[in-house]
Amino acid sequence: MVRRILGLRAGRVAVGILSAIALLAILGPVLAPQDPFLTRPETLAGPSWAHWLGTDYLGRDVFSRLLDGSRTSVLGAVQVALIGLVAGAVPGILSVYLGRAFEWLTLRAADTLIALPFLVFAVAVTALLGNGISQAMLVVGVLVSPLFFRVSRAATLAVARSQYVEAALISGGSVGWLVRRHVWGKVLPPIAVALAQTIGTGFIVVSSLTFLGIGVQPPEPTWGGLLASDLGYLAYQPWAPVVPAALIMATVWGSNLLADAIRDVSGEAGRTLVNSRRAHARRLDSPEPLTAGGTTR
Amino acid sequence: MSDDDDSRPVLDVADLEVHYGLRRRRRRALHGVSLTVNRGETVGVIGETGSGKSTLARAVLGLVRATSGRITIAGEEVTGYSSQQWRALRRRGVVQYVFQDPLRSLDPDLTVEESLIEPLLIQGVPRAEAAARGRAYLARVRLADDLLGRLPGELSGGQRQRVAVARALVSEPSLIILDEPVSALDSANRVGVLEILKELRDAGVSLVFISHDLGSVVGVADRIAVLYQGEIVEVGPARTIIKAPGHPYTRLLVGSAPTLRSASASRAEREALRALLHARTEADLAPAR
Amino acid sequence: MTGTLPDNPADVVVPTDTVVPTNSVVPADAGPAAAAVVLAVRDVRIRDEVNDREIVHGVSFELRPGQAIGIVGESGSGKTLTCRAVLGILPDHLVVSAGSVQIAGRDIGGLTEREWTDLRASTISAVFQDPASYLNPSIKVGPQITEVLRAKLGLGRRAARHRAIELLAAVRLRDPELVYDQYVFELSGGMLQRVLIATAIAADPQVLIADEATTALDVTVQAEILDLLADLRERIGLTLVVVSHDLAVVAQLCDEVLVMRQGEVVEHGPTEDVLYHPRHEYTRLLITEHEQYGLERYLDGPAATAVAGESPDLPDSPEWPALPVRRKSPDRKVLDGVR
Repeated sequence: MVRRILGLRAGRVAVGILSAIALLAILGPVLAPQDPFLTRPETLAGPSWAHWLGTDYLGRDVFSRLLDGSRTSVLGAVQVALIGLVAGAVPGILSVYLGRAFEWLTLRAADTLIALPFLVFAVAVTALLGNGISQAMLVVGVLVSPLFFRVSRAATLAVARSQYVEAALISGGSVGWLVRRHVWGKVLPPIAVALAQTIGTGFIVVSSLTFLGIGVQPPEPTWGGLLASDLGYLAYQPWAPVVPAALIMATVWGSNLLADAIRDVSGEAGRTLVNSRRAHARRLDSPEPLTAGGTTR
Repeated sequence: MSDDDDSRPVLDVADLEVHYGLRRRRRRALHGVSLTVNRGETVGVIGETGSGKSTLARAVLGLVRATSGRITIAGEEVTGYSSQQWRALRRRGVVQYVFQDPLRSLDPDLTVEESLIEPLLIQGVPRAEAAARGRAYLARVRLADDLLGRLPGELSGGQRQRVAVARALVSEPSLIILDEPVSALDSANRVGVLEILKELRDAGVSLVFISHDLGSVVGVADRIAVLYQGEIVEVGPARTIIKAPGHPYTRLLVGSAPTLRSASASRAEREALRALLHARTEADLAPAR
Repeated sequence: MTGTLPDNPADVVVPTDTVVPTNSVVPADAGPAAAAVVLAVRDVRIRDEVNDREIVHGVSFELRPGQAIGIVGESGSGKTLTCRAVLGILPDHLVVSAGSVQIAGRDIGGLTEREWTDLRASTISAVFQDPASYLNPSIKVGPQITEVLRAKLGLGRRAARHRAIELLAAVRLRDPELVYDQYVFELSGGMLQRVLIATAIAADPQVLIADEATTALDVTVQAEILDLLADLRERIGLTLVVVSHDLAVVAQLCDEVLVMRQGEVVEHGPTEDVLYHPRHEYTRLLITEHEQYGLERYLDGPAATAVAGESPDLPDSPEWPALPVRRKSPDRKVLDGVR
C-alpha cells in the first residue's frame, strides 16, 4: 500500500508536504527564535531582520508565534480527526455486523449528534469536564464522528452484501476475518477522504473555539488563532494573513492529496490504473500473448 | 460421525419448507422439497428465476433458515444449528459454493492466490502449506501458476470461474454446490468449465449443479431434479428427464432448450404447454383469493 | 446472391413501404430476385483509431424482406460491433474504414444525424441484452411506447395509447392493458424484453436487429422470445438479424448463418449447410461442444425417431393428458456430416 502510494506523483507530493508539516509540529517550539509571548512597543511592524514576519498588535514576533503554535495546531487537528475516526468509523463498520439492536442504537446516536447545536454542546462539555485543549478536541471530535459513521457504514454496506464476502462467510470466516480481509480495504479510501476533510475543518473549528474562550487560551498561539487576529488588522497589515493561511492550506491540501492517492491505489479506479500500467509494462516485456486460455474483452 | 462411510448420502434434504417475509408479506419459497445427493454423484437442479433454486442452495448452506423439514449434510443434521455451529461446520470446509458471476465472487483487491487459499487460511492451515495445496488445485482446473499473483480483473471470465472452482475444491469438501456456474460465460469458456466439472465428477466429487438451462447441466449431471414454483416436480436420471419428461414444465424445458437438431419441440407445442401451465397456476391461486 | 443488386444505390431509393407492404407475408425461401434487398452489408471493416488496429475484417451479407440471418461468435468476435456499425452507433474511437452498408437502398455512409433519426426505428430497429437498462424505471411502461409512437408517427394521445396496447398484444403479452400501466420493476425480464420488442417494432421497421436479446433470460423465456420473433417474421414480414454466442439459438430461427471469430467471418451459408457441412474448424468445434454437453447427446437415440402423431418419448401420464399438438420428427440428417 505505502509503496503503491509512493508510486504515484501526487502521493509523493502529499507525503513530502505532510512530513514537512509534521517536522514543523515537532521542532517548531524549539526553533522559535524569540519568545512568542514577549510584547514590545513596536506593534504591527513590517518584516525586518529582527522580526522576519513582523510583529502583531501587541508587538509579539509573528514568526516565533507561528512556529510555537504549530504543535498545538497540528496536534489539535489530528486529534479531532482521530477522535472522529474512532468514535465514528468503528461503530459505522460494526453497525452492519453486530445485529439489529446495535445498528438501531448507533444510528439513533449518530442522528442525535447531528441534531446537537455545536456551541451549546461545546459549552456544556467544558462546563462538565473543565476547560482545556483536550476537552475542546473531544467536543469537536465527537461532533464530527457522524460524518465518519455515515461514510464508513455506507461503504461497509456496499461491500457486506457482495458475493466475495458471502463466499468467505460460507468458508467459515468470522466477522473479524471478513472485516479485516475484505471490508477494511474498501472502506479505507472514503474514510481517508473524510479524514483529510476533517483535518481542514479541525484548524478552523479549534481557532473559532479559542475565540469563544474554549480550548486553547488566548496568549497561546495557534495557526487558526493567528489568522483570526490578523483578519482584525487587515487595514494595517493586508499581507499578514497570508502565511498562517498558507500553512493551513498546505496541510489541508497535503492531506487531501494523500486521501486521493489512497483512493487511487485501492479503489476501483486505482485498480484499473495500476493494472493498465502493469499490463503496459508487461506488454513491453513480452511480445507473445498473455492469456493462458480463453479470450475476453 | 466418521467420514469414511461411503454409503451415506452427502446431502439429504427432507420435506423442506422455506418462507420469506413476515406476516402479510410472507411468501413460500420452497414447499416439501426432498432431495438426496449420494457420494460421488452429480445432481442437477433445474428451475427458472424465482423457482426457489437459489433458496434451496442458501438453505443448505445455512444462509436461510428453514421453516420446517430436515437437512442432513454428511450424516450431520444441521437443521437447528446455531450460527456458531454453522461456522464450525463451514470452517471444516464440508460444503463449498461456487457463485454465478466470478467477477463478483472474487475480491477484486486480492490476488488469485489469496482468494484461492482463503478457506485454508480460515481453517488455520499454515500459509506455506496452504499455498502448496492451492497450487495443486489450480493445476487441477488447468490454470498456470503464473496467474497466482494476478488480480481477478486481469483474468478472463472463464479463468475467474476456474479460480472459483479451485477455491471450492481446496478444502476437499464432501459437496460442492454450483449456482449457475456457466451462465455468465460465453460458449468457449463454458465448455472449459463444464469439462472440469465432468472431470471432478469422474474423480468422485459430489456436485449439486443449479441452473435454469437444462442444456448446460445434462452433460455433467447423473440425475436431474426439476424445481417449479418452489416444488420439485420431477426427479430422475438425466436421460429419462430429457427423453421422457412427465410434468408439463419439464416438457416445456426440454422443448425450449435450443439444440442443433430442428427444434426439439414445435412452437405450437410450446405454446400449448405454456397455456396449460398458466391455467394451472391460475387455478392454484384461485382458492387463495 | 450479390449479382442481382443494382450497382447504383440511387436506383433503389424509393419509399420503402411501397416496396414491401408490411403486413404481407413474404416467404423466407423466396427467390433471390423476389424482393428488393432491405439490408446490404458489403465488406464492412471496422478500425480502432486509438491503436490503429482493424477489429472487424470484412463482413458481407444481404437480407431481403422476411429473411433472417444469424451471427454467431464469442465475445470479442466483432459480431456486436458489426451490428452497431449497421445502426450507426459505433463507439467514438471506432470507424468503418472500408465497405458499405445500405439500408433499404440508402448508403448510410453520408447520413446526417437527422437522417439517421428518421431511419432508425422507422426502417431499422434493435433490441439488446439487458432490457431493464433501456427503459426508464420511474415512468410507466406504456407512456414510454406512446412517446415513440407520437414522435415517429405523429399520432395523437389517444391513438398512440390505442396503438401501444395493440403492440403489447402483438408481442403476446397476456394482459396488455395491465402491462401498459406497470413500471419496469413490476415486470419480469422476459416481459421487459417483449415491451422493448414492442417499442422496436412500433414504427413498423423493416429490419430488427436482436443482439443477444435472449442471453440473460431463462431458457423457457428465451424460447418464448425466439418464438415471438419467428412469429413476427411470419406475420408482418419482419427481417431479422439475430446475434448470439449460441449456434443453436441462431440455427433455430435463421435460414442463414454467419460465424465470426476474432473479427473474421469464418463461415457463411444457409443454416443447413453450416450445420451439415461446416468448413471451418471453429464451426466444427461449436457443433461438437453442443453434441457433448448439450441436450443433443440424448436426443439422438432411437426414441427420438418418433414420427409425427406418436410421441413415445413423451408418455402421457393420466395427470397430464396428451396435448393436441403433433411433434415434429427430429431431423436426423443434421450433423451427420460432422461426426
